[in-house]
Amino acid sequence: MVNLIRRDVILQKKYLLTYIPFIVFFIIMGSHSALTFLVASIFIPFNAFAYDEKAETNILLNSLPYTRKEIIAARYLGAIVYMVLAIGLTSLALLAFGEPFTMKDIAVGNSLFLLFAAFTFPLFYILKSGHIFTVVLISFLVLAGIGPQVVIFLVERLTAITDFIARFSVPTLYTGAAVIVIILYAISWGITTFIYQRKAF
Amino acid sequence: MGNVVELKNVTKKFKGFAVEDMDLQIKQGFVTGFMGENGAGKSTTIKMMLNLLQPDAGEVKVFGLDYTTHEKVIKERIGFVYDGNVFFEGLNLKDIKRIVAPAYERWDDKLFHKYIEQFDLPLNKAMKTFSKGMQMKASLAIALSHHAELIILDEPTAGLDPIFRRELLDLLQELMVDGNRTIFFSTHITSDLDRIADYLAFIHKGDLIFNQSVHDVAENYALVKGKLDLLDRDTEKAFVHIRRASTGFEALTDNSNDVKQIFGDNVVIERASLEDIMYYLKGGIHHG
Repeated sequence: MVNLIRRDVILQKKYLLTYIPFIVFFIIMGSHSALTFLVASIFIPFNAFAYDEKAETNILLNSLPYTRKEIIAARYLGAIVYMVLAIGLTSLALLAFGEPFTMKDIAVGNSLFLLFAAFTFPLFYILKSGHIFTVVLISFLVLAGIGPQVVIFLVERLTAITDFIARFSVPTLYTGAAVIVIILYAISWGITTFIYQRKAF
Repeated sequence: MGNVVELKNVTKKFKGFAVEDMDLQIKQGFVTGFMGENGAGKSTTIKMMLNLLQPDAGEVKVFGLDYTTHEKVIKERIGFVYDGNVFFEGLNLKDIKRIVAPAYERWDDKLFHKYIEQFDLPLNKAMKTFSKGMQMKASLAIALSHHAELIILDEPTAGLDPIFRRELLDLLQELMVDGNRTIFFSTHITSDLDRIADYLAFIHKGDLIFNQSVHDVAENYALVKGKLDLLDRDTEKAFVHIRRASTGFEALTDNSNDVKQIFGDNVVIERASLEDIMYYLKGGIHHG
């Protein structure tokens, strides 16, 4: 399993050189730290998917002594492993540039990452290869673009919900959000495993 | 001698194509050639043996084990070579080995480097710069370096030049010195089979037509030529396929002894090459 997770780094060796400048770019552009954390986490797992889109990769992995369950588990655990590494790297980069950030930024950025991963990972196995990366990229931009507006719109119109949410204290809200994200991620993992086990190569 | 692979009543349906009710046994310790025209179902069958495809019905057993409970144990003992390059194009062999080797418990680095040297392969060049022959050699080196007992090759000789094709076949033959080893390879090039196969399995439009030893195939199948007036409803039954011309008929039989008894010296009986067999069976089997 560790081998499968390590595989992503071997595959992306060359790209990793662009990783640091990429993070630095976001910092220099003055992006919100939470967004920098989000983007940094997305880099390796989604790049790996772009590689694995090809049917041949699945033929290779499934001909090796791995079970389909393990291949998917490596994806989901790998995303978390690389997320943790990204947190470390991004924090260092932010410190180096003297940009302030809080634990809240890390939590928000990475919760968003996990949420995004939970929704898109299954798509990689449902959609036809070749289109997936475009779909994910577009959905990311759309979400990032109109997501906040949608939330603001909902907040203004649906006072019942905001009243409900306002009853909780801030720590409870964050914990609750984190728990929901983790549950969604786990459900997504289950769904992807289910899909992948029925796939033909 | 036991069977390494057993397919029992295996059915897999696709749009416009199906492998139906297939029973196929691969004998341990021999080279079995899997022949059939393009699109006959060779790759589908091979994919089912490797659990890349799951049959709609029926049972697939490899080393007597089934995939639902023993997937890893089975694959640990199989070496695979596919028609196309399944390895990451941008990577060099060293990195590909880094990805593949840890997957196998019995990976033998020394053996791998022996093959790299024997095949004269560069370790630091990207796979995409390799010629078709080099890619095949690289796939082979990887397939052979974990002491696999069963080696499955899907169209290994397709697209190779004749000299390398021969080298490859010689190499496969060398591998068979280890008596436990089994090789199963598909091809539509019949001369490959003449050279190294012990058993022949022939698939046509998703049906397994026969799976016999090379000796039995040579014994049973024959080309028969004779005058048209020898053919009638009864005598036609001895043939698998008949081609009529104004000068006489030419037919393929799968039972040359019967033909000898029925026609005696009135017909010419010739050995049928594998190509003849494939050619005549293309129209399907119609007895009579």
